[in-house]
Amino acid sequence: MRALFNYFQSQTIHIKVLVFGVVMSSIPLLLISSCYYFYVKSDLETRIYEKQNLVLESLSHEIEADFTQIFQSSHVLASLLQVDQGESAFYELLQNESIEEAVVTNEKGFVVKRVSRYSLNLPGENERWFTDDMWFKLQTEDQVFGEVEFNQYGQPVMKLAVPFYENNRKKAIGVVVQLQKLIGKISSLRQDDSSYIYLLDRNGRIIAHQDYSKLWQKQPLVQNQNVLGVRAKINQINWELVMEQPKATAFEPINSMLQNGLAAVALVILTVSLISISAGLYFTRPIVQIDREMNRLKQGRNTRTIDIDRKDELGKLVITFNSMSKELLEKSKLLEQEKERLNVVVNGIGSGLALVTKDYSITWMNPILKSWLQEDRLTLPCYASIGGEDSPCQDCPITCSNLTGNVEKLMKIKDYHSAERIFRHRVFELNHAIEEQGEFLVVLEDITEQKQMEERIVQTDKLSALGIMASSFAHEVNNPLTTINVYAEDMMDRIQIDDETLDAEEMEYYLGKIKENTQRCKKITSNLLNFSRKADWTNEVINIKKTIEDSVSLVEYQLRKNRIQLELDVEKGLPPVIGDGLKLMQVLVNLINNAVGAMELEGNLVISATLVEQEILIKVIDNGHGISEDVMDKLFDPFFTTKPVGKGTGLGLSVCYGIIQQFGGNIEITSTLGEGTTIIIRLLAAIGTEGYHDENKAISCG
Amino acid sequence: MKTKWYLFIVTIIAVTAIIFSVLQFHQKEEPFEVGVLMIGKNRDQKFNGLKKGLEELGFDNKEITYIVKNANDDEDKMKRQIVALLDDNPDIIVTLGGVESTLLKEEMSEENKRIPVVFAGVAAPKELGLIEDYRSPGGLFTGINNYHTSISGKRLELLTNLVPSIQLVHVIYDSKIEISQLSLNETKEAAKKLNIRIHPYDVSKNSNVNLRNSIKKEEALLILPSFRIEALTDELVSLATDKQIPAMGLYEFEAEKGMLASYGASFYSQGYQAARFVSLIINGNSPADLPVELPDSIRFVINKETKDAIDVLYNQDLLSIAEYIYPDQIARGEK
Repeated sequence: MRALFNYFQSQTIHIKVLVFGVVMSSIPLLLISSCYYFYVKSDLETRIYEKQNLVLESLSHEIEADFTQIFQSSHVLASLLQVDQGESAFYELLQNESIEEAVVTNEKGFVVKRVSRYSLNLPGENERWFTDDMWFKLQTEDQVFGEVEFNQYGQPVMKLAVPFYENNRKKAIGVVVQLQKLIGKISSLRQDDSSYIYLLDRNGRIIAHQDYSKLWQKQPLVQNQNVLGVRAKINQINWELVMEQPKATAFEPINSMLQNGLAAVALVILTVSLISISAGLYFTRPIVQIDREMNRLKQGRNTRTIDIDRKDELGKLVITFNSMSKELLEKSKLLEQEKERLNVVVNGIGSGLALVTKDYSITWMNPILKSWLQEDRLTLPCYASIGGEDSPCQDCPITCSNLTGNVEKLMKIKDYHSAERIFRHRVFELNHAIEEQGEFLVVLEDITEQKQMEERIVQTDKLSALGIMASSFAHEVNNPLTTINVYAEDMMDRIQIDDETLDAEEMEYYLGKIKENTQRCKKITSNLLNFSRKADWTNEVINIKKTIEDSVSLVEYQLRKNRIQLELDVEKGLPPVIGDGLKLMQVLVNLINNAVGAMELEGNLVISATLVEQEILIKVIDNGHGISEDVMDKLFDPFFTTKPVGKGTGLGLSVCYGIIQQFGGNIEITSTLGEGTTIIIRLLAAIGTEGYHDENKAISCG
Repeated sequence: MKTKWYLFIVTIIAVTAIIFSVLQFHQKEEPFEVGVLMIGKNRDQKFNGLKKGLEELGFDNKEITYIVKNANDDEDKMKRQIVALLDDNPDIIVTLGGVESTLLKEEMSEENKRIPVVFAGVAAPKELGLIEDYRSPGGLFTGINNYHTSISGKRLELLTNLVPSIQLVHVIYDSKIEISQLSLNETKEAAKKLNIRIHPYDVSKNSNVNLRNSIKKEEALLILPSFRIEALTDELVSLATDKQIPAMGLYEFEAEKGMLASYGASFYSQGYQAARFVSLIINGNSPADLPVELPDSIRFVINKETKDAIDVLYNQDLLSIAEYIYPDQIARGEK
């Protein structure tokens, strides 16, 4: 049933309309016909039984009446013979047409008198008339009858007898009853619709039947199930009349009616089928056309306009489809153009792109990314193929759904030549992505050259600062060296002259001074060396106060030389910040140098550091000539400078901006022309060392 | 493609069903054709009996068509009519007498025709070669043995019992008719048993009955079966009447014409009885299996006027079982 339903479901609409039409038209017709058929059949069966009963009742009464009369006549004759009425009584008996002859037998059963319709009235010599069975019964019963037998002329006859007494001797009157007419009538009586009647004697033999081949046979005891029949007993002689009709002919009228009904049903089905097919085609033609055009559309072929002049829903659907397909074609073209552009962009952008699913599988990557990755890693999850990790990155939006934005991080990948390259790695969540097709877009940018350039710029800037500070360094180193030299010469002179006052204590004082100044030189040079060192970004815990002081020490000479008053205001107990201290020092040196340049002589420079709402604010305030408003926007642009040619590289503030960005902080400049400039650096305080995290280490999702 | 196949099959079924219904609607049962052969007009009663019998058995006139061939007592014409009837090829042929049956049998053997035949009253059909056996006729013929041969002795007994004073019985027979000859033999045997004197008279040797001079009082006439003798009925009645002697015929028409009595199966009842055979054959039985029957009843008829006219003593017992007929009333159309 399920399979049939599924098969039906898989058929086209016009087949379904056809089946619907046929079922709706034929099922009620068949149901009504079936009910009517069974009702009429039952009614017909009842009527047939009634008719058969009527026929049999009439016939059986007729036969019974005949035999009753014969017996009565015989009894009358017996009583007449007792009073010796003679011949006339015999002839009275023969008035009954069925009686062929009448005899009188003596006490031994021999015929003593005969009156016959066909034979001579001469009794035979010692002629026995009774069969043994009849004679035996005659002794006890007042009337007996024998079997159906045949007379000398082949006619069926039956003997009946009644006893009577004459002179105390038991004699009998016997009559031979002619059955030919009776049997012939029953056999040949025409019955309608293949009905037939047959007569059974007391032994169950068929003694009359329309079909003569069945005569004198025993009727089978098993009731024939294929006939409708009734029976009637003839009690007088224990015969039975049976009337039967084969069911096939009995029900022929209604079978014929059924056949006509089925013909009508077939005609209705044919008509309904034609109508249903026409209706199905009428309804489905637009759908089929739409389907065909949709297939063409799917294959990317040009569709044709469906031309159907209908105002119904299907007509509207066709109009909508025509309009939609036209629009779709146009949009497809646009999409193709967009795709082409996108391909150009994706392949020409220089970035590696990949679509990654929630389970880190890479479903697509552009050729650039493929070229960056080693061949055998392309099928691995993204964290393995791109990141080279064994497990998903904890700071990835795929892992941490609460991370918002395109979490950016730098990563290093070794290329085919085992050269380490720096990549910027960003992950974008796609809001309209198809599941399993890649819900995240990973963008990888090779920023190795950029990073190298930045580093070179920083270094250049640093060298520029060093250049500015070169005379200061020389002066700074020169002063202690001069002192050392003075003490060393004085000591040598006094040794040469064997100055007796030069005792051990004084010598120790002299050597102490030399050592002190040597250490000062060493500090200056090491500070200088440290500042000029080219090093990669290193995260460390930065003591703000110390960094400020180290920075100031590098420019101390310049401040003095320009008679600039320095005011350091560093809040006590400031928390550290995390980052590269050397880079922060480079920023401060740059800012102080700029301030010195802006103030020229006798200015005031204030450097403060305070903690405001988890941020450390470092302010560098000078009262120099300030910055005109029209260049404020360009201050952080590389190579922009207000200094005369040869005095500045224009990289200072740009480098500062880059470094502070790298710290994750920001830098602001406010200035009033002629009054001075204030530069504020905001850095995230690392309150407590537990707040420190290495950038290259995992960051907790929380 | 599925739809086309479906339509094709449904159309075939519908058209077939409709054709069957239409055919069934127009299917009419063809009436049975019953050919009837009669040698002369005197067989009309048999034919009437046949029609009535079939009607009472349930066959209406629409179901049976009769093709009647009446030869008007001309044997040659009968032969030609038999040929024509066989050409018509009826379903059943009913012969209304011995001559018709014998001639038909000859012609059918010649033409090798196989049509069931019911003879409505033939004396001694087995002896005529129409059947092999009374219980199982075995061929195409069956019907009624009208017993004229076998009851010839009984008729002699009845005649002499009716008029006990009879001393001699003139037995009228036809030596050219086998049945007649057989009946004579039967009569002779009975006469011997009953101790009655008889005088056989062969009509075939005389163009008329030359007995007028030889018949005396207390004598009687006994008519044996022969269509030739049937043709002489009027002459025989005239003879009996003139001589005031009792005459015993076979058929009631003989009594009606003036004979004292007749004892035999009536033409009407033979025809009536033959209807049963026709019905049985129509219902599918073979004539070979249908036993030949004797007449259902034998009528003992006495012409009341003749009885009253002849001055003899009658056996009252026999008169009590006889059927009286009144020729004058019959002539006036009364019963």
